[in-house]
Amino acid sequence: MANGGYVGKILYVNLTDKSIEDIPTADYEEWGGGHGIGSAIFWDRVKDKTIDGYDPDNLVSFMSSPLSGTLAPSASGRTEVTGIGIQAYPVGWFTRSNFGGRFSGMIKYAGWDGVVVQGASESPVWINIVNDKVTIEDASGLWGLNTHETQEEIWSMVTGQSDVREWWSLSGARDGGRTTQKPAVVCIGPAGENGNRNGCLIHDSGNGGGQGGFGGILGVKNLKAISVIGTGSVPVADPAALLQLRDEVQSKFGYNVDDPALETPVPGVNLYGILTQQPGYGTLLWAPEKPARPQGCMGCYRNCRMNHTDGLANGNQCVESLYFMAGPTQDDIKRAVTLLDQMGINVYDVFQHEYLFGLYKQGILGPGKQIHSELPWDKYGTYEFMEAFTKAVAYGTDIGEDLKDGLTRAAVKWGRWDIDTANGSLTRPQWGFSEHYDPRLEVDWSYGSLFGDRDINEHDFNWHVHWMPLVTGAVGQAPLISAARVAELMGKATGTSPDAFDYSQEGIYSDARLDAVTWHRYYTRYWKQSISFCDWAWPILITYNTEDNVGGTPTYEPALFKAVTGLDISMDKGLEIGRRIWNLDRAIWVLQGRNREMEVFTDYVYDVPTVAPYPLLVKANGEWIFDTCVGRTLDREKFESVKDRFYKLHGWGVDTGWPTRATLESLGLSHVADELAKADKLGS
Amino acid sequence: MADDTKTAEGKEYSRREFITGIGGLGAGAVFGGLIVKGFMLPDEVYAIPASEGYLLVDTKKCGGCESCMLACSLAHTGRSNINLSRIQITQNPFGKFPNDMAQIQCRQCPYPACIDACPTGAMHAESEFGNVRMVDEGKCIGCERCVNACPFTPSRVQWNFEDRHAQKCDLCANAPHWNKDGGPNGSQACIELCPMKAISFTPTVPAQSDAGYVVNLRNSHWGNLMFPTT
Repeated sequence: MANGGYVGKILYVNLTDKSIEDIPTADYEEWGGGHGIGSAIFWDRVKDKTIDGYDPDNLVSFMSSPLSGTLAPSASGRTEVTGIGIQAYPVGWFTRSNFGGRFSGMIKYAGWDGVVVQGASESPVWINIVNDKVTIEDASGLWGLNTHETQEEIWSMVTGQSDVREWWSLSGARDGGRTTQKPAVVCIGPAGENGNRNGCLIHDSGNGGGQGGFGGILGVKNLKAISVIGTGSVPVADPAALLQLRDEVQSKFGYNVDDPALETPVPGVNLYGILTQQPGYGTLLWAPEKPARPQGCMGCYRNCRMNHTDGLANGNQCVESLYFMAGPTQDDIKRAVTLLDQMGINVYDVFQHEYLFGLYKQGILGPGKQIHSELPWDKYGTYEFMEAFTKAVAYGTDIGEDLKDGLTRAAVKWGRWDIDTANGSLTRPQWGFSEHYDPRLEVDWSYGSLFGDRDINEHDFNWHVHWMPLVTGAVGQAPLISAARVAELMGKATGTSPDAFDYSQEGIYSDARLDAVTWHRYYTRYWKQSISFCDWAWPILITYNTEDNVGGTPTYEPALFKAVTGLDISMDKGLEIGRRIWNLDRAIWVLQGRNREMEVFTDYVYDVPTVAPYPLLVKANGEWIFDTCVGRTLDREKFESVKDRFYKLHGWGVDTGWPTRATLESLGLSHVADELAKADKLGS
Repeated sequence: MADDTKTAEGKEYSRREFITGIGGLGAGAVFGGLIVKGFMLPDEVYAIPASEGYLLVDTKKCGGCESCMLACSLAHTGRSNINLSRIQITQNPFGKFPNDMAQIQCRQCPYPACIDACPTGAMHAESEFGNVRMVDEGKCIGCERCVNACPFTPSRVQWNFEDRHAQKCDLCANAPHWNKDGGPNGSQACIELCPMKAISFTPTVPAQSDAGYVVNLRNSHWGNLMFPTT
């Protein structure tokens, strides 16, 4: 049993009868934390796994990890969210989301390893956690506020001050705990209140838990926010070792801001930060035109986000910061992003607004058209349009009446889904989620998403096999290291082989590639989503900041875990726990209706060749190169062969994709096997 | 009062340095009588030797990751708790740079009101560690006079509500989990582990304003990230 990291109990709140319960963390410690514990609690407490995500019995977990709130580098600030989703199509799979910031640390300082909510309140409420005191408060005064207003209001209600800048006592007693910090609040905006399938969770500024539609789920539960402030300590098994490891990781792999080992050759190209790990690079395609600073999640050693001189777009990064890339000015870009954040909308569902504009240009969408909309489509490309569009989605007005159910379901309703996912004008390859990276090429991403529950959003391999040659090419450089060296380092760090990273026309179907896909599924389920190593920082398979480019994986994840918990979980043992979590999730999906026939991509993936150059690691005629991969599709027949072998590799029935009893029992999941047997859904 | 005052440890301490140090207390402290009281007392009352080390925080370089807070509490207590950190970072996520954050560190005041207020001598200038102002935890009776005496808001002296004694920045002089020598002649966990290198050390009293010691730790590489260097 761990002697550090965990704080001992998980808060369970039933919103229907307003009851509160402590769940001993020790009961679930075998799952690590985060996703593993969330899935296990879901399995134990939701008897009917086939319920809809909107069902009051849906159970949503907000879990920290043993590393949350500690100095573990870029592993301290992530919160994992699990539950039945409402976004995926055609079935809202049991799913996950994740947001950064300081909520996960603060919940532990309050004495809880996580918060689990179930049921639904008859009227709007928010949960107020002040150390071990938990109250369910009336949220009628918060309902209707945007996510920023909501948080400011709660800070003020909890602390008596809207902007805390001094010590305040939580209980009034001398030893009752004091802090200078604001409560950490995760909340929903108008989109969530309306039950939108693209309703997002927002914490502080720019920390969004978007995928899955958990904002809309909280909305139908009438749960506006969870606020937590805590003053307790997180025990650490070996403090000196943790300090030493932090220093090592930061010194070896971090960006030395005063004297960087690798520096962008073109100042202002934030994209280059993918290679350097420089602070503030999270906006990727734009750098600040006005004064700004980097900003990081709790305990981060990189600080990829930014705060700006006008307070707009603070903390926004990645796709969210690109919501309005065509904005005429950077101010417009930042205003649009801020509005999206305030409305609480999942950017990954609505950033394909150019698809809608395409329908407008074709005369299909607009005033009096087949898809009626009176939004100012003639002003597409202006902030005026983005404001009207964003508010329409949030409040479900105009075209938002359909888009509140997500663009995928809207396209189905409009009769566009089959046509436009076949011709590739609507690039949504699996489960109705937007294309993230090319599913015809980066197959660890697409296979992982299809065999899972959502767009995986796991960049582990992607930084090196795709972005490194792309970014260097964009600034006129040769790749920083050779293709052969990338393959070698990736194979070594993952314990697979260089051939596992061959993205060639043949390589994407190979057994070696499936080894990498498998490693990816297990690594992310445990180390990333349960132990909360940040996706943008871990694993460190390759570094561009040292001479030898050797990264920190698989050495540092287990070492950091041991320093905090005292437990010896080797990389391989962690991967095995990841396999266990992956199979538990798979069992839930099977009960929800998953089978082999469903696991196919939309037609464009098979039928529409790639047209744009897409740098990727490829082995051609025995030589490693970075190829442009133009003109490629995924072959249906060969992909079916992939399914045969992938299912077999994972111990699932080849005909069904369902886990076998032997597989589940080997993982200590006989009770799961029993439930699948009852549903007549055990693989063979 | 002479222009230069010699401390018990022999360190020369100029009136200019002294006034500069007091300046950071702001008008409230001046009109509150601190300086008046000081000038009216005999020189030997000031014979609290100057600290031989100070933390400098570049307020515009800080990334708000709270790593310094996590490092501080871990190095000193062996536990992870930002509320027990002797350096505090406060933030408004919706705030406007540079007023979106505040970095709150002990200034090791030339005239340490916390020492003056302590009735037991627990709060003292530790000669073994370059006169850094620190707490002898065994002597602390929990009266919190030092906490209340600190002229800054929030107070740089804290009540450690878990271990039940006052605490403040000691430049890692007494940081049992920090496997390096601390104090003014050693290294400090917050400085070494700040990923933005926004904290540095100086052995002399720095210039200061009400907002803190004035320091710019940003060089041209910071500018290459498109962040301001002035």
